[in-house]
Amino acid sequence: MNVKAALDRQERARIQSDALALKGEFDNGGIPDLMAAIHEREQNRLAGGLNYSLFRSNGVRLVGRLPPFKLREGWRHMNGPPDGDEPPGQLEHLLVYSIRLSPKFWLMVGDDIGLLSRLDNTFLQMFIIGLALAVTLAVGGGIAVSAGFLRRIDAITRTAEAIIEGDIGQRIVLRGSGDDLDRLAASLNHMLDRIGVLMDALRNVSTAVAHDLRTPLGHLRQQLEDARSRARSTGEYAEAVDSAIAKTDSILETFSAILRIAQIESGSRKAGFRRINLSEIVASLVQSYGPTAEEQKRVLAASIAPGITIDGDRELINQLVVNLLDNAMRHTPAGTPITVSLVEESGAVALEVADKGPGVPEAERERIFERFYRCEASRTTPGSGLGLSLVSAVSGLHRGAIQVLDNMPGLKFRIEFLRTAGAA
Amino acid sequence: MRGVLAFYTRPYSQRQVRVSSGVSAANEVPGLPMKLLLVEDDAETAAFVLRGFRERGYALDHAQNGRDGLYLAIEGSYDVLVVDRMLHAMDGLSMVKALRSAGVATPVLFLTTMSGIDDRVEGLEAGGDDYLVKPYAFSELAARVNALARRPPASKEITVLRVGDLEMNLLKRTVTRGGEAIDLQPREFQLLEYLMRRADQIVTRTMLLEGVWDFHFDPRTNIVETHISRLRSKINLGRENDLIHTIRGSGYCLRAPATAS
Repeated sequence: MNVKAALDRQERARIQSDALALKGEFDNGGIPDLMAAIHEREQNRLAGGLNYSLFRSNGVRLVGRLPPFKLREGWRHMNGPPDGDEPPGQLEHLLVYSIRLSPKFWLMVGDDIGLLSRLDNTFLQMFIIGLALAVTLAVGGGIAVSAGFLRRIDAITRTAEAIIEGDIGQRIVLRGSGDDLDRLAASLNHMLDRIGVLMDALRNVSTAVAHDLRTPLGHLRQQLEDARSRARSTGEYAEAVDSAIAKTDSILETFSAILRIAQIESGSRKAGFRRINLSEIVASLVQSYGPTAEEQKRVLAASIAPGITIDGDRELINQLVVNLLDNAMRHTPAGTPITVSLVEESGAVALEVADKGPGVPEAERERIFERFYRCEASRTTPGSGLGLSLVSAVSGLHRGAIQVLDNMPGLKFRIEFLRTAGAA
Repeated sequence: MRGVLAFYTRPYSQRQVRVSSGVSAANEVPGLPMKLLLVEDDAETAAFVLRGFRERGYALDHAQNGRDGLYLAIEGSYDVLVVDRMLHAMDGLSMVKALRSAGVATPVLFLTTMSGIDDRVEGLEAGGDDYLVKPYAFSELAARVNALARRPPASKEITVLRVGDLEMNLLKRTVTRGGEAIDLQPREFQLLEYLMRRADQIVTRTMLLEGVWDFHFDPRTNIVETHISRLRSKINLGRENDLIHTIRGSGYCLRAPATAS
């Protein structure tokens, strides 16, 4: 044990140096000076002084308490009478250094090293106690911690079970300690919030689907009933049937749009993304809409920067642009100009479709992407209210940011595609 | 082969006799009737389709599952196969894959309730030639089946298309009528080419959207109608007789006045 060795070395140095100092006194002033020096040291006994004994060569002790023994120079260990600081029943353990002052006199300087020799045991004891303490703490603490942990896991489980049972409003109670479990619980809660929002949206959509389809189905039924009771000629019947088919088609169209949006939002189309030339697609679509625009006495102007490419799905981008053009054509009166622009600016590709029509009040602008949302002004125009939802879904799939802006007058859709969006 | 001929033996064609309108006039083929195999497990749909085609003078067989369909398709010589994608005992996709690997090249039209874009691509990759999403108008199905049945062999290199006095040179990208040059925009050229390749056949609006614009959805704006009317006035050159006929409720048909059957 290094500590013990160091202490031992230190002790020996102290004893030896004192012995040599006393020899110096003797050399200088003989027995009287030595006696005086010893006496002075004895006074300091309580202050940690050493034991001193002076012997004649014949073994007669002149000074001190150390028992007589065979005189020889050097170190020895010996047991002395108890001096009170040792455990009961044990003798004092002394380390003694003997030095021959002259042919006639011997000096012995010793110190009680019981403390030092007991250090070994103390260390061992401390080690054992420490170990026991550590084990106790570890096991106890472990039990305590795991009991707490299990209690909290139980709480999470109970919450999960309550949610499974249908109480979606349940949340895991946080302790506020910010530990791992709390963080986990917080993200679980966050996830539950998100799921809740999605479920609400889904519920709203299903309700909207039901509502939106009930109206045309109701009309269809009325019409058929009307034809049944009033149509007199084959021609009238045929007309009623044609109209019923048209109504059915529009209902089916709504269904396909819903399914298509769901498919786009699932993100599965992303796997088929290729580099596509957006400039060509937009230019070709604008060209395709030219005759119709002309027929409606509109100016369809396009400013398309050449060679702009993005990673995407050609068919969906086609539909996005078509829906925006359709939207502009259907919700503005004939003769209203429409502008399409495609530019690349500071790493982003911006596509804009703008009209000079009546526009949409600001309060309604955010809502126009909602499924089945129809602006007040356009409730009477035919349409499913899904065209812009699809635009938003396609834009989202392509990581595009879509904005509805005031074209002063009119409406402007602006979609920004991040050009650097991972060329996968 | 249980059930294979269940519908075949039912005399639908004798039950309902309707006077052929202008629609079927373009579809009817003199001589041998076209032979069709319908592989469809939904009884109602099958009855509807079978009745429709019988009225138009087609000869039909019906299989209720892919296994029977495959057997019939390999044995019989059909002009077109109409195959539902979702079938019991071997689905339509596997059936057509097996058929193609057996070297049968009969044109296949898939019917499906899956409107997914990937589903369409999957169907075409499996060896399908066309794809129609349920529910559909019968006229749409009829037009597509007719187009598939009369599809010219792909090997034939055509450089000039002729319908009456209308001529299209595919190499020079020129169109003339009675020797007079007609100036067309690229999209109009594409549209006319599509119609000329299917002269005397009904071409539906959806077929044009898919074939000319590559739109697999229905735009709300009537781009087909406006393009057709513009093309029509361009190729009429002020003449009385239209070459492009509008077939009400079905689509369009490019037909030379003299060659009308």
